[in-house]
Amino acid sequence: MGVVHGDLMTLNIGPQHPSTHGVLRLKVKTDGEIISEVEPIIGYLHRCFEKHCENVTYEQVIPYTDRCDYIAAMNNNFGYAVTVEELMEIKVPERVEYIRVIVAELNRIASHLLALGAYGLDVGAFTPFLYMFRDRERILDLFETLCGARLLYNYIWVGGVSHDLPPGFIGAVYSFLDYFEPKIEEYNELLTYNKIFIERTGDVGVMPPEVAVSYGVTGPNLRGSGVKWDIRKDEPYSIYDKFDFDIPVGAGEMGTVGDCWDRYYVRMVEMKESVKITRQALKGIPAGDVHQALPKKIRPPQGSIYKRTESPRGDLAYYIVSDGSPIPYRLKMRSPAFTALSVLSEISQGWMMSDVLAILGSLDIVLGEIDR
Amino acid sequence: MSDEQIKLIEKAVANALAGDMDAINDIEDRVTRSKAKAALVKAKRLAKATTPAEDPSNTDELKVGDSAPTEKSLSEKVAACLNEKFPNSLEAEDVNGHIQMKGKNWFKIAQYLRDNPDFLFDSLQCVTGYDFGEGEDLEVRYNLHSMTHNHTIEIRIKTDRNNPKVPSVEQVWRIGDWFERETFDMYGIEFEGHSNMIRILCPEDWEGWPLRKDYETQETYHGIVVPKVKDGWE
Amino acid sequence: MTVDQLINWLPFGTDWPVITFLTAVIICALPVFLFIAVYALVAIYGEVKISSFMADKVGPMGQGVGFHAGKWGLLQPVADALKLILKEDIIPAAADKKLFIMAPFVVFIGAFISFAALPFGQNTIIADMNIGIFYILAVGSLSVIGIILAGWSSNNKWSLYGGMRSAAQIVSYEIPAGLSIISIIMLTETLSMQGINEFQQGTIWGILPNWIIFNNPFSFIAFFIFFISGVAECNRTPFDIPEAESELVAGAFTEYSGMRYAFFFLSEYAEMFVVSGVSATAFLGGWNSPISGFFDSPGWGVFWFMGKTLSLVFVMIWFRWTFPRLRVDQLMSICWKVFLPFSLLNIFGVGIWSLLVG
Repeated sequence: MGVVHGDLMTLNIGPQHPSTHGVLRLKVKTDGEIISEVEPIIGYLHRCFEKHCENVTYEQVIPYTDRCDYIAAMNNNFGYAVTVEELMEIKVPERVEYIRVIVAELNRIASHLLALGAYGLDVGAFTPFLYMFRDRERILDLFETLCGARLLYNYIWVGGVSHDLPPGFIGAVYSFLDYFEPKIEEYNELLTYNKIFIERTGDVGVMPPEVAVSYGVTGPNLRGSGVKWDIRKDEPYSIYDKFDFDIPVGAGEMGTVGDCWDRYYVRMVEMKESVKITRQALKGIPAGDVHQALPKKIRPPQGSIYKRTESPRGDLAYYIVSDGSPIPYRLKMRSPAFTALSVLSEISQGWMMSDVLAILGSLDIVLGEIDR
Repeated sequence: MSDEQIKLIEKAVANALAGDMDAINDIEDRVTRSKAKAALVKAKRLAKATTPAEDPSNTDELKVGDSAPTEKSLSEKVAACLNEKFPNSLEAEDVNGHIQMKGKNWFKIAQYLRDNPDFLFDSLQCVTGYDFGEGEDLEVRYNLHSMTHNHTIEIRIKTDRNNPKVPSVEQVWRIGDWFERETFDMYGIEFEGHSNMIRILCPEDWEGWPLRKDYETQETYHGIVVPKVKDGWE
Repeated sequence: MTVDQLINWLPFGTDWPVITFLTAVIICALPVFLFIAVYALVAIYGEVKISSFMADKVGPMGQGVGFHAGKWGLLQPVADALKLILKEDIIPAAADKKLFIMAPFVVFIGAFISFAALPFGQNTIIADMNIGIFYILAVGSLSVIGIILAGWSSNNKWSLYGGMRSAAQIVSYEIPAGLSIISIIMLTETLSMQGINEFQQGTIWGILPNWIIFNNPFSFIAFFIFFISGVAECNRTPFDIPEAESELVAGAFTEYSGMRYAFFFLSEYAEMFVVSGVSATAFLGGWNSPISGFFDSPGWGVFWFMGKTLSLVFVMIWFRWTFPRLRVDQLMSICWKVFLPFSLLNIFGVGIWSLLVG
């Protein structure tokens, strides 16, 4: 009996590619259309963030943190500020806490909109992408009235925020939330429950919870696999313990637990929860002076600290070692997308070419954060 | 450079060495300020060459996480347990927030920490490399976390600068693969037993270990001139 | 005006047959070629504007009448065409030059020559063959060769992927399309396009036009099968895996630029028209007016045919901007496991219906 001998074809996706969410290179070995190995190669966007941080002061680090995860910049600032404040044992006024939660949740909505829209685009649906960007623009306009910048804010400082809320901001946020909530239903009709979309993403790229935990995957990716873990609830920081919200978890509605559809759906429901949190925060925001607790000079005592916060991509943590000077001695940023990308090679074995891109899109990575 | 400037810089540097950075930070002129900072770095280097540096992070008092009393008892519990099971693998007897470990049994200890039902550290949160200074040791710090018990712990392993080797925990926590590659890329610490020890962020043929304190960038890379980062830049 | 009629009309017909034939062909083909060019411009403009309405964008604006901020952007397709003509012609160094240059022409020929048998009106058809519809189906599959050539000669793994996928897709979807046409031919008892149109004259029960789609439930289903297979043959979303933007950049056509790319583009729109034209003829009555007896002069016939065809083209554009893309194995399984059995059933169904009822 003759044996047909085939060879694996090595293909290269990226670094320039419409679908790789940044400069990412995927080395793919395929057998026809079936993938046998995927190897992500990163480092194309490495800007030596950690080395820079060892040469600038603590305040000057904040714009650098913006540029790591440029889609959810507020959450980056937030994580950093919370970490340094804990190191220095600064207590910020209530108003600052509320403002921080509001902008962080708005930024979470904006980040999820981009993630879901781009995911639709990867799968071939052009229209939801444009609808979601239209709504994202509204959030960016709000941020522009707040601090002057649309994408990279430098807003949340150690000990406070850079500017107080402008007059009319709270009303504008209320009207945005009222406009946005029915839109989520529209997106569900258009894309989430579309039969073709379910076929493309249901049962594809299943990530079992043990694999997820071992690979350090956190955030919506982990929640999509059924693990109920959210730092805002389990290790609350800032004033998240005052708010009442649910943690959506993937339940395998359209396939297996932990498939791409689950991760997509978790993000969709998280947007609803963020709207809830923002409404509660807006209702309870007290008056006060936001610059009250800003330290004149940030010189933390000697020590080290590791603190985690919840960014839209997962578990963002800063490990800071201070030697008593105004310049950090060592600053390490543990980015959630780094761990999310590392699991790609494991969960895309045996799927087809188009599925690799569907899985990559569902992991919601940002190369700025991975490469730093 | 005028005499005034030189004197100003010298005074500022002397003050800064004593611990008060305001002297340098308050200099108005940008150029002078940056020269002062460069001089400060040089002076520090000289000072370190004569006196051994003090590890800045050993004097921390439980800054890790938020629940201080439980952390202490957890680290002590873990340390006690490890002392029983793997004698002579802990470096320091007293644990204040972290466990200082010797590198030799690390792989087995890691498996024990992951599988023991009391601890169940099934999630490796972060692997940080650390440089104590020029001429000093390097260190690898692991932050572990348990999803079931919701407790965290930090483990530090020191290694010699000239031949840094630490056992790899890639098979215990799969994320160790990429984290260790990153630490190797930045510090040059080799993880024994790792299946694919190549650089991850820098290009594969880059020379030098970027995050070390004595790192000098190479002159050219494939014919492209690498711009030097000036000392004390702003 | 068919070529035959023209040949008979030309004075030097019997003396120089070859020249007569060529003259007649050119006289008949030129308007069609111009029509395709104009239609392509209109279709491109339509696609961009319709998609902007659906996707909440504004689309091309400004290059309108008057050249200042108009709302229509009517010069956009003209600008597009000019741009494509003036672009630099890049052929990759390692590409197979002859095949690379030949591919766009093969695809275009496949799309273009099917226009010869489209019945624009009672008297407006270039070649009134008695095997009209069979001719269109046969000739429409020539474009597959062109796509494979394009994919192979680009010397690019991604183009090869796109070319292979496209070939598999088009060839597979020919089958349900052909079988659906067979099921209606059993009713009309003729393969000629004008014959099919003439069959659909008159009304059913006095009010419904006698279109084949209303004739019996099996031909109703056959219409949808044929139309969707036609969308798949044009490589349009949801079946546009061969040119899936987000995966393969432009699939088989990645390495093409300028006028060569314009040819592929043009032939895609031409094929859309052909598929819609055949659907309109075979199922929706062609040049027959919906209200039988009124508006059915030969001039109105062209209007009805164009109206029906262009609405189907609009539906194809609508599909593109609504649905995500199907994966390759999913679209193949739809073709072989769903469409094929249903179209076979249709043949039986129509046959039995005609025996029992008709």
